[in-house]
This record gives sequence, C-alpha cells and structure tokens, in this order.
Amino acid sequence: MRSGFYKQTIAEHLALTDSWTQRAWIAVALAALATAPFVLDTYLLTLVTLMMITAVGGIGLNILTGWTGLISLGQTGFMVLGAYGYAIPVETWGWDPLAGFLLAGLVPAAASVLVGIPSLRLTGLYLAITTLASAFIVVHLVLEFPGLTNGASGIFVNRPTVLGWTVFTDQDLFRLVAIFLVLTILGALNLRRSRIGRAWFAIRDKDDAARVMGVDLRTYKLYAFVASSFVVGLSGALYGIFLSFVTVDGFPFLLSIEALAMLIVGGMGSIAGAVLGAVFLVGLPEVVSMVFSAFGDSARALLSTGAHEVKGVLYGLVIIGFLRLQPEGLMGLWRDAQRVWTLWPLRY
Amino acid sequence: MIQTQTQAAGGAAPPLLEIRNARIVYDHAVEAVREVSLSVPQGSVVALLGSNGAGKSTLLKALTGTLALEDGEVEKGAILLDGEDLGRTPTDRIVARGVSLVPEGRRLFANLTVEDNITMGGHLKGAADLARLRAQVYDLFPRLAERRRQIAGYLSGGEQQMVAVGRALMAEPRLLALDEPSLGLAPLIVDQIYATVARLNAEFGMTILLVEQNAMQAMEIADTVYIMENGRIVLDGPAEQMRGNLDVQEYYLGFSGGGERRSFRDVKHYKRRKRWLS
Repeated sequence: MRSGFYKQTIAEHLALTDSWTQRAWIAVALAALATAPFVLDTYLLTLVTLMMITAVGGIGLNILTGWTGLISLGQTGFMVLGAYGYAIPVETWGWDPLAGFLLAGLVPAAASVLVGIPSLRLTGLYLAITTLASAFIVVHLVLEFPGLTNGASGIFVNRPTVLGWTVFTDQDLFRLVAIFLVLTILGALNLRRSRIGRAWFAIRDKDDAARVMGVDLRTYKLYAFVASSFVVGLSGALYGIFLSFVTVDGFPFLLSIEALAMLIVGGMGSIAGAVLGAVFLVGLPEVVSMVFSAFGDSARALLSTGAHEVKGVLYGLVIIGFLRLQPEGLMGLWRDAQRVWTLWPLRY
Repeated sequence: MIQTQTQAAGGAAPPLLEIRNARIVYDHAVEAVREVSLSVPQGSVVALLGSNGAGKSTLLKALTGTLALEDGEVEKGAILLDGEDLGRTPTDRIVARGVSLVPEGRRLFANLTVEDNITMGGHLKGAADLARLRAQVYDLFPRLAERRRQIAGYLSGGEQQMVAVGRALMAEPRLLALDEPSLGLAPLIVDQIYATVARLNAEFGMTILLVEQNAMQAMEIADTVYIMENGRIVLDGPAEQMRGNLDVQEYYLGFSGGGERRSFRDVKHYKRRKRWLS
C-alpha cells in the first residue's frame, strides 16, 4: 500500500510541487484569490486582506523560528521598521511606492543584523528576551525622533500607485496584498530548497553537527535574521497601508505573540502552516463574535465591552490546546486526516 | 573521500595531523588534557583509546575548532594540520581543509530525510559535486540508498551511524575523525561500521583517527594505538605490539594473563609506568 510520495530524482526533489493534486489545489487557491474581489462583500474582503497581511508576517517569522529554530519576539519591532521604512520615504519624501516597498524590507533587514549579532550565541529563552528588547527599543527610537517619524502622532499613508496602477478601492488593496503573499510564498519556498535553507534546517535540528559539516553558524543565522525581517518588514508596510496610518500604537506588542501563536497553531516550520495559522487566528475572533451574537443581545454586549480580553483569553486557550493536543498544529491535523483517508479502515 | 592519496615521500613531509604537547583547559580551571602529543601520519589508522573522562573527546573538539563553544582553550602546545598550527581557525575552515568529524552519538538532523542529512555533509561542495559524492556514499552503504526518503530520526541506531559516517564523507575529508562509532550498537553492526572504515583506509588511502572505548575492535583495524587516562597518554605504540602488551590486555581488553590473577605488584608496576610515561 502506498504510504506517501517518494521522490526519485533530484529534479523532483527540487520541484516546488510534487503531485497533480497539489497543483490542482494551487490552481484553486489562485483562482479563489483572483475571484474573491468580485464576490466577497467589503467586510469579508477586509478580513481576508488582513489574513493575508498576517500570513506574510507569519511566513517571515517562520523563516527564523520555524526553519532556523531561533525564537523571536521581535516581530513587532521589524513590522514597525517596515511600516516606517515605507511611510517615511513615500509619504514624507514623496518617493515612488516601489522604492518604499524595497526600503520596507531593507530597513528591518539592516536592523536585524544589529539585533542578530548579539543574539548569535543565544538560543531559546535568552534569544526571545533579546529580540523582545529589540522590539521595545525600536518603538522608543521611533518616539525619540519626531523630526523623522512624526513621533506619537504618526504618518498618514495613502494607498499607493504601483507601476501606474492606482490602488484605490478595497478590491485593489486585496489584489496588491495577494500579489505580495504569492511572491512571499514563492520566495520562501525557493529559499527552503536552496543550500541556505538546508543549512537552516541543519542548525535547527543539531547546531553542533551543522558546525562540523562546515556551516558557519554566524553567517547562516544572520541570513535567517535578514531574510525573515525583510519579509516581516513588508508585512509591516502592508499593514500600515491597510490601516492607512502608521503609528507605534498601530503595532502593539501583542502582534509578536500573535505571530508565534500563528506558527504554533498552524504548524511550525511549514509555509502552509503559517498561512493556515494566520487564517485561523485572524478568523477566530470573528467567528466567536458571530457565535456570541447568536446567543442574543446580552452576550453581544459582553463581547463589545470586553472584546480585547475575550480575544486574549481565546488566543491563550487555543495555544494551550494545540500545544497539548496537536503540537504540529493544523498541518499536523491535516497530515493525520490524510493518513486516515489513505489507510482507513486499518490503523496503519 | 575517495581519491587515492599518495603516501608522503620519505620522512620529510609532516604528518597529516600532529598534536604537540597540547594542554587543554575548560573555563580556565578544569584541566582536561595535559601535555598530550600524538601524530597521525598520512594514510594511517590511529586509534585513541581510554575510558570516560580521559580527554579523548576534548582532543577531538580541539581538532574541529568547537572547543571555544564550551569555554575550552588550548593553553599550551599546538595542533598542527599539515604542519600548520590550527590555532583559532573557525570550524568551517577546518572542514574545508579536509577534516571531517563523525560526532559522538551521531548527532543526525532528526527531522530531515537521509538524503538531506547526507547532502548537508557536502555543505561546502558545489552542486555539481553533490550528486557524485552522494552516489559514492550510497555505493558504500547500499542500505542508505533504500532508506534515502525516510526521516533520519526514524532509522535504527546502526543505520543512523551509517548516515553519520556517510555525511562526514560528503566533505571529501583527508582526515576522518570518528568519535565512538560503536556507541550503543549491536556487535554485528559495529563489525560492519568498522569494516567500512577499514575499507576507506585500504581502498582510498583515507587517514583515520578513531576515538573509542571499545578497545578490542579498534585495535584490530588500527596501525598505531594511543591510550589516554586522566588527560595524559599513558601508553602508545604499534597496534600489534599493544595487543600483546599484558597491561593493555588486563586493563582494556579484559583478559587476565595466563588465566591466573596477576599480582598486586604488577598493578603497581603499571601505575608507576603510567606516571613515568606521562
């Protein structure tokens, strides 16, 4: 009985897709992204846009945490840098938005080298604390230089005009974000199958063994920081455009926790997991409020007064639930389902 | 791997690896290796034996440049590769210069496939070399070719050890250092691993540094044997001679000479010799 897909040649090993089912799924997903702006109402469109922005950020963090095994709580900091890296040149200096998007990646990438260097000897909890500190430092720096960043009052961000295409409606914004998501996924998948990606996995699994294979840990950990924060910075810029306003208040520290939660819920180390996690965590509060409103007015009132707390409690419960019951997250559930489907009615 | 190396002509060329009076200290406080000298000539198999805590692994860490990670330091003496002091050469440079380590306890990348594990060993090789080197590894360990798609963490201990050796060979080392390749393996598997190591030496002229507790097995394939205890080398010599040495037989091979218990005087004699030798 077939127990999985086995790749026979190097070409298959390097291919981005491995079966026609997978290609079909990708076609379905792309078709859904293309038709969504025509079908969905504004509320759902906005929700999916937010999911996609979150997914870009999740994929970015996945490079660092899921693939290289470096736990980071600095997500917020890199997102803020990305948002300002876009907003300042484009809105204050009047640069082209394309240059803005490039800077939204490059500025956090450069900063991540600064964060990364002292972090090179640290792993686990210590690294988490260091990156946490970096996130707060970024926020303070933004507030300290009001001449550049406009301080606490923030910068208003218009929807951009990219290569002559003016992103004006919600539908346009959806398409812009979708393009970024697809590009991010392609970029990440390509990194994963490269020599660099392999070295990241090796560092995650056994860093001392990776070292005696000739992997220079410093360089490759820094690569991970740079690649990760580049992508996270892009998601920060997109989030700024989505909010049409960039301030430090728009990027609460909770975003860092959410991003990690996303990876845990989705399944550490998998791009599909990061996307699923984003969909799940962004969608969860909406589903819950729908359920609450079904229970009538008093429940809805409770939710509207305590929305933030309810959200926090929910995240906590979901993360604990997944850690306890399915550490591989939604991807793990999906794999189990596939296994049951293939092997049923026998267990193995 | 795997190109025949010509023996160094005459006695003029330095040995591939030479450790000269090395003193290795952890944390500026714990002396793990005291004044150890050993030499691994090109094309030979050298076994470094000794019980736990003798300092064998510390020497290997010094050789692969991973000592600093544990706050260890070569305080005195030198570790010379091709007659050049390695000093603080970073690990990846040492690998590039032809030293590959099969680490103790195998240290596989448990979530990667066998193929990815082996490919990782060729990290410093170009894409063109990888396919050729992989084919050579699979040739050496046909079992791995069958298992190439499996997750390395699910292999048996023996297969994992084969992956670890294959992975180290991907760097085409001139000196292959093995840290306790027999650890936790069935005797039959150990025989296979040792046969492969002997073959690497005999067919491809690869220089081998073998660190072991399993003295009997190691002495069978070694040319030269060093025995360490408490951070010193207490005995050394050609393998045949060491196999015949009564002290070695008693203390490392578990024979008591001629069936009768040896007297306490002999024990003292051995201890005294150790002190003099070190």
